[in-house]
Amino acid sequence: MDDQGCPRCKTTKYRNPSLKLMVNVCGHTLCESCVDMLFVRGSGNCVQCDTPLRKSNFRVQLFEDPAIDKEVEIRKKVLKIYNKRDFDFSSLREYNDYLERVEEIVYNLTNNLEVEGTKQIMEAYQRENRDTIQKNKAKLTREQEELEELLLLEQQGNEQRRLETLQEEQRQLQAKRKSKQALLDELERSHVPATILLAQHKDRAAQLETQIEKQKQVVKTTIFSTGIPMGQTVSLLSVARLEEDLYLYQPIHIHTYGPPVPELEQLGRLGYLNHVRTAQPQDMAGGYNSGLACHRAIQDAFSGLFPPLG
Amino acid sequence: MPVLGGATDITTATPGHHGNHCIKAKSQSFTMFHISSQKKFWTFDNEESLEQLRYEANQKYRNKMFASGKPGVSDALFLEAHEENVLFRHYEKRLLDFCNAFKPVMPKSVVGTAIMYFRRFYLNNSLMEYHPRTIMRICAYLSCKVDEFNVSSTQFVGNLVQESAAGQERALEQILEYELLLIQQLNFHLVVHTPYRPMEGLLIDLKTRYPLLENPESLRKSVDDFLTRATLTDSGLLFPPSQIALTAILNSASRAGLSMESYLTECMGLKEDKETLLKMYDAMRRIKSLMKKYELPKPDEVNAYKVKLERVHADFGTNSNAKRKRGYEDDDHVAKEPRMTEEEWTDEDLDLDEL
Repeated sequence: MDDQGCPRCKTTKYRNPSLKLMVNVCGHTLCESCVDMLFVRGSGNCVQCDTPLRKSNFRVQLFEDPAIDKEVEIRKKVLKIYNKRDFDFSSLREYNDYLERVEEIVYNLTNNLEVEGTKQIMEAYQRENRDTIQKNKAKLTREQEELEELLLLEQQGNEQRRLETLQEEQRQLQAKRKSKQALLDELERSHVPATILLAQHKDRAAQLETQIEKQKQVVKTTIFSTGIPMGQTVSLLSVARLEEDLYLYQPIHIHTYGPPVPELEQLGRLGYLNHVRTAQPQDMAGGYNSGLACHRAIQDAFSGLFPPLG
Repeated sequence: MPVLGGATDITTATPGHHGNHCIKAKSQSFTMFHISSQKKFWTFDNEESLEQLRYEANQKYRNKMFASGKPGVSDALFLEAHEENVLFRHYEKRLLDFCNAFKPVMPKSVVGTAIMYFRRFYLNNSLMEYHPRTIMRICAYLSCKVDEFNVSSTQFVGNLVQESAAGQERALEQILEYELLLIQQLNFHLVVHTPYRPMEGLLIDLKTRYPLLENPESLRKSVDDFLTRATLTDSGLLFPPSQIALTAILNSASRAGLSMESYLTECMGLKEDKETLLKMYDAMRRIKSLMKKYELPKPDEVNAYKVKLERVHADFGTNSNAKRKRGYEDDDHVAKEPRMTEEEWTDEDLDLDEL
C-alpha cells in the first residue's frame, strides 16, 4: 500500500502510513484528508475524471487496484438483482449462460461500456423476475441467519471452555495454597517431628498432582462425535433398511488377442530363460533380471497374434 | 522402449543406458500392442481403404490449389495418386538407405518407426504439399527421439553428407520447423510397434517350446531380411506386428525346407480352433502377397515425376526459409486454426440478443 500515493496531495500518504485511501463509484482514489477537504459540501467532482460524486459514496479501499474495489461494489449491486442460484436452473448449460450474462453486465459497467444499454437490460430483468428476486432474497437472509446462529453457538462454546479452564486453574492454585498452609499449621502445632510432617506433606502434594492430572484427562464430553448430545434418549425403533446393489469387484480383463502369456515368475521354470542373455552383475544392480526382458519379448510376440473373431 | 540387438541378446550390448527401462515390462498394459493407439487408429482393414485415403489426400490438395485462386493452376501440373505412389516409394527407399548409413548405428526399431511415420504422414497428406525430402529427415529425427536413441541434432545433420556445413544448418532449421507439423499429422500417436521385438519373442518361444525346429537361430538372417522388406509395404498399417513376425518366421522356415505346421496347432493351442487358424493363414498369405507386389520404382518414371513435383513446389509451395524463420505463427497447420475457432465460440456466446 505504501507505493500508492493519493493522486492529489501525493506526499501525505508516505508520511502518514495510517492514512487510508478511499474509492468512489468512478474507480479513482483519494486519501481520507483530501476527501474531507474536497467534499466539505457533501458533493463535488472527481479530480481525475470529473464525474459528479457524493461524499457518502466513498468507501475505504480494500484492494491495491482501485478498479477492483469499483468492480466489487458493482458486483454487489448486480448480484442483488441477479440472485438466482444453481438449483433454480434445469440444466448446467442454462446456469452457465446465466452466469455469463451476469459477468457481461458487470464487465460492461466496470469498464464503462454501453452503460445505458446495460442498465436498461438490468431494469428489464428486474421487472420480469420481481417475485423470484424476492424469494431468493428471503432464502438468502434465512441462510445467513442460520450461519450466524452456528457461529454464535461456536463462539459460546469457546467462551465456556475458556471459563472452565480458568476456573480449574484457580481451583488448583487454591488447593496448593491450602496444603501449604496446612503444612505450616501442622509444623507449628503438632508434636510429630518435622521430617515426618514434611514427608506427609510431600505425599499429599503428590496425590493432589495425580488428582489434577486425572481431572485433566477426564474430557468433559457432553456430546458424542456424531452430534447427538449425551443423555438424550435415542429412539429404539428400527431404522429403515436401505437396499442397494453392493459393489462387486470385477478384476480388469484386457483382451490380448493372442495366446496366453506365461507369468513372469514361471519363465525360469518353463525354460524360457535359457534362451535369453543372462544378466550381468552391472545389470542386476539396477534391479534388472533376464526374466523381465524375456517376458516383454514374449508379450509382444503374442499380443495381437490371433485375428479378432467375427 | 528397449532396443533389440543380435543373437540371443534381448538388450543392447551396453546395458548401462538401456537396461533399466525393461522394468516397464512389469506394467504390461500400457506398452502393449493390443491396447495401443496403433491398433485403434492406425490399423486399417484392407488395402482399398488405404488407397482411398491417399486418393482423398491428393484430391484435397488439388481442391485447395484450385480454390486458392493462384495463377497458373491446372490439372495437368499436378501429380496423380499413383504417380505420387511411385515417388513415395522412391523417397522411402532413400529414407531406408539414410537410416542404414547412419552413424552411430541406428537400431532397427528406430528405422522401422521412421518409415512408419513417413508412411502414416503421407496417408493423409499429399507429396505435393510437403516435400518428401524434408519430411523424410524429420521422420528419422523424430523417430530417434521417440525411441530413445539419443543423437544430438548436430550429430544428426552431420549424417547428411551431401550438404555443406551451412547446408546442414539450414537442414536442421527446416527439420525443427516441420517437427511439430509431423507430430500433429501423426495425431500425436508417436509410439510405433515394430515387428522386431515380436520376432525375438517368437524365436525364444520356438527355442523353448518347439524342439521340432532344431536351430531357429539359423532363420534369423532371412527373417530380418523379410521384416525389412515388409516395412517398405503397407503391411504395418494393416496387420499387427506379431502377425508380421510370425509370417516372416514361417516363410523363412518353409524356404529353408523346414516344416513348422505343428507350431501353430500344438504350441499355440489352435488345433481345435479352425476358424482362427484359417484367418491366420489368410492374413499371412495377404502379407506375403503385399511383399511380392512391391517393386522398386523405375528410374525414368521417378525422374519424370520428380520434375513435376519440383515444379509444383517451386510454383505453389508456400515454402521459403526466410519467411518461416520465426516459425510457427505463420504455419496455418500448426497454431492458428484452433485459436480461431476459440474466438468464434466466445463471440457467439456473448450475443446479447439472447436476453
